[in-house]
Amino acid sequence: MITIAIAKGRMQDGALLLLARAGICLSEEALNSRRLASLDETGRYRFIFVKPADVPVYVEHGIADCGVVGRDVLLESEADLLLPLDLGIARCRIVVAAADAQAMTKVQGMIRVATKYSQIASAHFGARGIPVEIIQLSGSVELAPALGLADMIVDLVETGRTLRENGLTIVEEIAESTGRLVVNRASYQLKAEEVARLIQALETALNGKQ
Amino acid sequence: MTSRIPAGMRYYIGAEARLRRTVEDVAMSVFEGWNYEEVITPSVDYYDLFEQGMGQREAQRGFRFTDNDGRLLALRPDVTSSVARMAATLLSERPRPLRFCYAAPVFRQQTQSHAEWRRENTQLGCELIGVGGTPADLEVLRLAAEILSRLNLQSLYCITINNVEIFNGVAANLNLETPAREQLRRLIDTREAAELRQFLQNHASNEVRAFSQPTQLTGKREVIQAARKVITNARSVAALDSLEELWTEIESLGLQDSFEIDLGDVSSLDYYTGLSLKIFVHGAGSGVGRGGRYDGLTGSFGRPEPAVGFVLNLDALTEVLGRTVSQV
Repeated sequence: MITIAIAKGRMQDGALLLLARAGICLSEEALNSRRLASLDETGRYRFIFVKPADVPVYVEHGIADCGVVGRDVLLESEADLLLPLDLGIARCRIVVAAADAQAMTKVQGMIRVATKYSQIASAHFGARGIPVEIIQLSGSVELAPALGLADMIVDLVETGRTLRENGLTIVEEIAESTGRLVVNRASYQLKAEEVARLIQALETALNGKQ
Repeated sequence: MTSRIPAGMRYYIGAEARLRRTVEDVAMSVFEGWNYEEVITPSVDYYDLFEQGMGQREAQRGFRFTDNDGRLLALRPDVTSSVARMAATLLSERPRPLRFCYAAPVFRQQTQSHAEWRRENTQLGCELIGVGGTPADLEVLRLAAEILSRLNLQSLYCITINNVEIFNGVAANLNLETPAREQLRRLIDTREAAELRQFLQNHASNEVRAFSQPTQLTGKREVIQAARKVITNARSVAALDSLEELWTEIESLGLQDSFEIDLGDVSSLDYYTGLSLKIFVHGAGSGVGRGGRYDGLTGSFGRPEPAVGFVLNLDALTEVLGRTVSQV
């Protein structure tokens, strides 16, 4: 049996839909219940639903063999995992945003950056030698510039509406993020056939869409 | 007095400590049966030694402090560096081959919350110095297999083997700058098929195609045959030949069910020069051992010669065995 950790929230519906197209279905009853672990209809796969940031943790420890999680979370966690498939779901961008599109050239001295993604933010500015002060927040990051907590933010953007409504514009795009299939290194060898079957089924489902 | 202990450190008490000692005894008795001499290396050594032996990136994870004269010391983050120096200096006149084994704790700083969170691990390891070629590679693989089967893990372990020169030959042929080569290495190591195909579009090379189907990188002999259809440079072909020769020996020993070829294992290219191996056991979330051939190592201490070896992680093995019903 293979255990798949699925990131709850924006990733979940897309992931289950794709898995269903690959022939791996959860029963109606399991979908509607509030259980955090359920078997698929064949009993070959077990699903666990966890917070996005916990998916790499479960998979790296081998508690889950595979996981479905956004690239944003993977970049932030720096977990040592295999990433065999880009599932193309829950597409979004990780961007730097500020009230002023020219903010990058105007700030003097230390830039204050509010974000949920402190690793990504410090790597992005660090690579170009720009000194920044990272202010770690856990939500509603768009508020920070308006209230004077930070000069800029690093955050996920899907449509850009939240940014606009809070008077922010995109200064730079750091990376695109989509849902990825991640696999534990030991499971990849020890459950080679089962993992390969899952990858192949998902690949077929993905190609069918195009 | 504080009741806390530092992160990544732990106690072993009673039954668990006994099991741990049993595992250590089994490994050391197998090593002894193959005429490996035990060696005990200094726990503290100059930081330079480890930087030369492991490369800067790995050595930096060692716990460092200064000697009375200001020189930088480290609590040993590995044993191999020290054994290589000993072979090249203290034992330079001894007839070859040298066979050494050890059971020794190593200390590394770890990022918290990752799977390998322990900062003290005991390595059960061996080094075979002064002989190259398939027979030497096969000897250490047989040692690893014998230890695992003596621990009643026969059907539960898998050893993956690769020859890093297959990748090196392909990369050399592409004439890549260092950052691009590192990117290619990382994409293969993490099996990022889609990004890899994108990378290929910018680098017109047929040979790299051999790495672009992640699920075809691992398996038995057919993996080598598939790679041969695409890879033609002399350096890689020689490496494929020697890997296939090794595989034939593994088959003739009837060990092929416990071994896998993994052409995608390119995680430590700076260190290994030929064979590389990783050891996995059901129930352990990450590898329980690794090793390979490092013909470049003793040369950095002044006496270049072939060398091959591996380490098993005693703490990871104890944890797996402690959880499975059938004990040693």
